[in-house]
Amino acid sequence: MLDIKNMSKSYGSLAVLKDINLQVGPGDVVAIIGPSGSGKSTLLKCINFLEPYDQGEVRFNGELVGYVEKNGKRALAPERRVNTQRSQMGMVFQNFNLFPHMTILQNVIEGPTRVRGVGREEAIRDADTILNRVGLSDKREVKPTRLSGGQQQRAAIARALAMKPRLMLFDEPTSALDPELVGEVLAAMRQLADDGMTMVIVTHEMSFARDVANRVVFMEGGYIVEEGPPQQVFSSPSNARTREFLARVLN
Amino acid sequence: MDYNWQFHVIYDYWPVFARGAMVTLQITLGATLLGLLIGLPSGIARMAKSAWWRMPFSCYVEFIRATPALVQIVWIYYCFPILFGFQLDAMTTMVVALGIHSGAYIAEIVRAGINAVDKGQFMAARSIGMSYLLTLRRIILPQAGQKMIPPLINEFANLMKLSTLGSMIAVYELLQESNNLIASTYRPMEIYTFLALVFFAITFPWIWLSRRLEIRMQRHA
Repeated sequence: MLDIKNMSKSYGSLAVLKDINLQVGPGDVVAIIGPSGSGKSTLLKCINFLEPYDQGEVRFNGELVGYVEKNGKRALAPERRVNTQRSQMGMVFQNFNLFPHMTILQNVIEGPTRVRGVGREEAIRDADTILNRVGLSDKREVKPTRLSGGQQQRAAIARALAMKPRLMLFDEPTSALDPELVGEVLAAMRQLADDGMTMVIVTHEMSFARDVANRVVFMEGGYIVEEGPPQQVFSSPSNARTREFLARVLN
Repeated sequence: MDYNWQFHVIYDYWPVFARGAMVTLQITLGATLLGLLIGLPSGIARMAKSAWWRMPFSCYVEFIRATPALVQIVWIYYCFPILFGFQLDAMTTMVVALGIHSGAYIAEIVRAGINAVDKGQFMAARSIGMSYLLTLRRIILPQAGQKMIPPLINEFANLMKLSTLGSMIAVYELLQESNNLIASTYRPMEIYTFLALVFFAITFPWIWLSRRLEIRMQRHA
């Protein structure tokens, strides 16, 4: 479903992603771990082209993301094409980024009604189903500022799910939450994974990665240093730097 | 002070002030409307990614903000007909000139308002596939709009004061009416004092309102 080949990105002279190769198949749950500044968030944003990448390719369902190729030359894809590609991927942010001037229900139906042209009645029905799944049915008429962090993040997940994406991207979804609220968000994510959603999750929650992911990717300094099933990466990492990082983080 | 105060002059001639006030208000409202029509798209264009959109509007804003309103008014009144062949009457000139003038300041208010909205809002909207313009319309501008109201009210009050420049091209707004009255009654003290009070009375409520709104929004933030 997601095929990243030799992808790299720089901000001016600063290279933040170097030669990234990653394949994600349907149903995969990939956890990306690593120290701050390793490029994890940037990688996520390149997948849905919120940030453009410079070299290599990101292909989503076979289609090149963000660029079009004509006669061997590459040009930026028209905005409409990129918007469509983005609408098939959902993203959940560390700071939730809910629309504060709308209720939770309005937040959730905004995408389907405005981007996919779904009728309002149908969108509301779908939204209620999703809100029920994440346990926020009683909050549908409330504005985001009235909710706790955990509730806001679950609402953000609902908003992303409303677009019926094939791939969900999570950028440190629990890093901004008080510890006692982390569990409810992880539970919602675990349920998504059990339901078969393809997910790429940048996280510091190691036990979650170990239990829910079927693949763990360790990044450092813009490179993918190690990749493998959680049992292998966590219990017997082959790379010294992976071991160092895990030792620092898991004690 | 050897002056013989005769405030009954104001009482006798109050229709003159009322007439002038109507014209002042018309100019102010007209210029505000035009300013919003020009300023809103200009502010948005200044934030465009493409330089083709940014440059012309940036030039407009910088030029207008660096030249005095009076110069802009007399230029439109005296030079425009030479260039384009038709003459705008004084009242229309005032509305057009002040509209163009305030458009530049409003563009900056709009730009600042949009910048003040959290960048994450952009990211979230784009991530569900919303286009740039749709994002601006549905997500960014509603949030920016709240922040823009106090400075916009301030701009309205400014325009009210700038309307007095109309007296330079013989528009019968408050200052011009006052000058004419002084020419026939020889009572500058009473009339100019009353004029200042009138302006205070019609301008200050707006400034007070804009300050109250700012405080209210600070509290809710």
